[in-house]
Amino acid sequence: MTATVTFTAGFARKYTAGVREFEVEAKNLRGVIRAMEEMFPGLGHTLEEETNVAINGELHETGYFQLVPPGAEVFFIPRIEGG
Amino acid sequence: MNDSTIVTDSTKRFKWVGTRPIRPDGVPKVTGRAMYGADLKLPGMLFGKVLRSPHAHARILKIDTSKAEALPGVKAVCTAADLPEQKNEFIGPERVAVNFWHVTRNILAREKALYEGHAIAAVAATSASIAEEAASLIEVTYEVLPHVIDVDEAMKPDAPLLFENMKTRGLATEPEGFSNISKRLEFVVGDIDKGFAEADVIMEKEFKTAAVHQAYIEPHACVAKMEADGQGEIWTSSQGHFQIRALTAKLLGSKIGDLRVSPAEIGGGFGGKTIAYLEPVAAVLSRKSGLPVRLQMTREDVFRGTGPTSGSSMWAKVGVKKDGTIVAADAIFKFQAGAHPGSPVMNACLCSYSPYDIPNARAVGYDVVSNRPKAAAYRAPGAPIGHWAVESVIDMCAKAIGMDPVDLRLKNVAGIGTPTIAGPKHAHAGFRETLEALKAHPAYTAPPTGKNQGRGIAAGYWFNGGGESSATLQVNADGTVLVATGSPDIGGSRASMAIMAAETLGVDYNTVRAIVADTGSVGYTHVTGGSRVTFATGTAVVNATKAAIKDLCKRAAMIWDVDPEGVIWEDGFAKPAGANVGDFKPLSIAELGGKAAATGGPITASAGVNAGAQAPGFGVHLVDVEVDPETGHVQILRYVAAQDVGRAIHPSYVEGQIQGGVAQGVGWALSEEYIYNNKGLLDNPGFLDYRCPVASDLPMIETILVEVPNPVHPYGAKGVGEVCICPPMAAIGNAIQHATGVRMTDLPMSPPRVLEALSAK
Repeated sequence: MTATVTFTAGFARKYTAGVREFEVEAKNLRGVIRAMEEMFPGLGHTLEEETNVAINGELHETGYFQLVPPGAEVFFIPRIEGG
Repeated sequence: MNDSTIVTDSTKRFKWVGTRPIRPDGVPKVTGRAMYGADLKLPGMLFGKVLRSPHAHARILKIDTSKAEALPGVKAVCTAADLPEQKNEFIGPERVAVNFWHVTRNILAREKALYEGHAIAAVAATSASIAEEAASLIEVTYEVLPHVIDVDEAMKPDAPLLFENMKTRGLATEPEGFSNISKRLEFVVGDIDKGFAEADVIMEKEFKTAAVHQAYIEPHACVAKMEADGQGEIWTSSQGHFQIRALTAKLLGSKIGDLRVSPAEIGGGFGGKTIAYLEPVAAVLSRKSGLPVRLQMTREDVFRGTGPTSGSSMWAKVGVKKDGTIVAADAIFKFQAGAHPGSPVMNACLCSYSPYDIPNARAVGYDVVSNRPKAAAYRAPGAPIGHWAVESVIDMCAKAIGMDPVDLRLKNVAGIGTPTIAGPKHAHAGFRETLEALKAHPAYTAPPTGKNQGRGIAAGYWFNGGGESSATLQVNADGTVLVATGSPDIGGSRASMAIMAAETLGVDYNTVRAIVADTGSVGYTHVTGGSRVTFATGTAVVNATKAAIKDLCKRAAMIWDVDPEGVIWEDGFAKPAGANVGDFKPLSIAELGGKAAATGGPITASAGVNAGAQAPGFGVHLVDVEVDPETGHVQILRYVAAQDVGRAIHPSYVEGQIQGGVAQGVGWALSEEYIYNNKGLLDNPGFLDYRCPVASDLPMIETILVEVPNPVHPYGAKGVGEVCICPPMAAIGNAIQHATGVRMTDLPMSPPRVLEALSAK
């Protein structure tokens, strides 16, 4: 099942040679992280440690267990903390 | 007093959710028996004292502790040399990007004192007076350096550098030189130039905000007791005892499992108690002395040594069409991080436009160090600052095109599917409903009509949080229930957790007792912050309750000698699922609790979650003010705050959160500020000179609770504690403009500043 993975411009510049959008086959976020790790070794760890994720707009901490529906938009964004 | 309006289209009826039972923490607090951080006394306990820098910026050439150590009664002295060095690397998320090289230097200064009040050394002695005398005997040789306080000054190439090796992160190429600018951020959506070219009216302005403190009533305090085998216990008043455990272990070089941290009752936090200041120092002193050590701050210590939120310097620009459509927005946010990197500027970038559907937008942020205490989180960190600038300029646009400010916001409202500046689309509604609820409130059609009076409107957005939480539920032998979570209760969470457990179980709320358990008694739970507890910890509580119900059904099945599938749980009783199961009298939770031993032992269930899909909070506020043209004093005449609250689990607490956020926002808007003299020293480190609003400054704050439930949460809860502080500053600034014709740009809008602006009119 294909999902569109998107990074912010600054993140893409630092980790993916400026490419912001990727199509990956994955059923859950573990699959997305693994696919990105295969393309950019080390990126999987960075995604786990430094980002939150929005799957079809729903915010989550970046983990393995979140389901990725077919055609989902997966945005990795800098992690947010509150007061 | 309850002046709230609840707007809901819910057809669901609950027994406990949405009711207002008496708070379980009320009696100990009003009778003075609640145990706060400074109340614990252990046998043999020593009293600690921290020596703080008298200089804004100075190299530490030498620390001589010999005279202090020689003083009778002194049992331990410590400096940064007693803490292991940490790597200079940013670990983890960009917003908080923890760099323990900086964190350990903030706990106890190493090469330099970076702000007045920076902790330099600490002592532990048999009495507080001996500790104080000993601290004064520590001789520190300083080389005083030029300092920089203001964020714009700190960004200049010739500014005194706090760190001679700091390069700006986030640039396309690594800079050659060093700077106080720790990081640059940029978020863009659409085409800015094209967007502004389509605008009929473009408004722009520069703004400033002062650093303001969370001003919690209870100063930081803790007790640490370290054992010879490396294990230790800490009692502390914090917003996250698991966080305190992790930070203390990291800074001491200990194992997390060797520390047990117990939460004290907490007298306010608002974000400022999510980090450690005293605990690692108390632990070192305890380790060195072999005795328990209590450390507590004075109010001056709190102001000088702990983090306020950032002050800022900003520029915002918004372009609109004559029909009110916002076509472009641009902003630069420059935030004081304090003496170490890590301001909440990213949140300002991400939140300021989020209530709106703006096709072309850009937000640039700078994180800048200066000789101030390291900034700490404060209620929706960063977002209120950005909203002050952007909501003021949106008001300017509304006036320029002659449009009602609520209608302009409705015209541009973000809904499900609207892209945010970070990229993801909004997945939850709530802003439109909140704006419409304010329009329907009687105040909306009753504007002030007196001389020098005016009305202001402003909106706000906060992400709200989710994340990791744990809960454990126990059914006692008499059917009473204990719910233990790891979330310190700073906003009424014990009541809301008990309500959700009672609702799920179908039992009387008064039979459920909720407690905050220590790190050894419940699973890991992230801080009470980010407006996450009712959502995330509430989900854990409901999950644990459901697991307990499953177990209760199993035990009823055992008693009836039927299959577990033949038992259902309804209204607090185990009942046969159908007539074919048998004719059994329903079993109450008390009957099942009494049979626990016979049916398998204690009835207990735990749940851990990493809760996601939290819904954000939207707020829109209306304020009427009167400005005294002779003194510049601004009187708040009426204040109405509408907020999307998901579902109000305990409406009184929700109202309290909103009223508290507004009260703090009024202080931020009108009177609160850190005032530094030309030596870089804080001139107002106390509540006499740092002017928080008091009851007589405020009218009754009217609240409108707009219930747009989050379908992901079992009862529809959304975070409510933070978005309420986002709109007040801009709402009040907009009201002053309406009353006087003068657009205020710098916070606080204190009498001298307003008078000056009126004079320049």
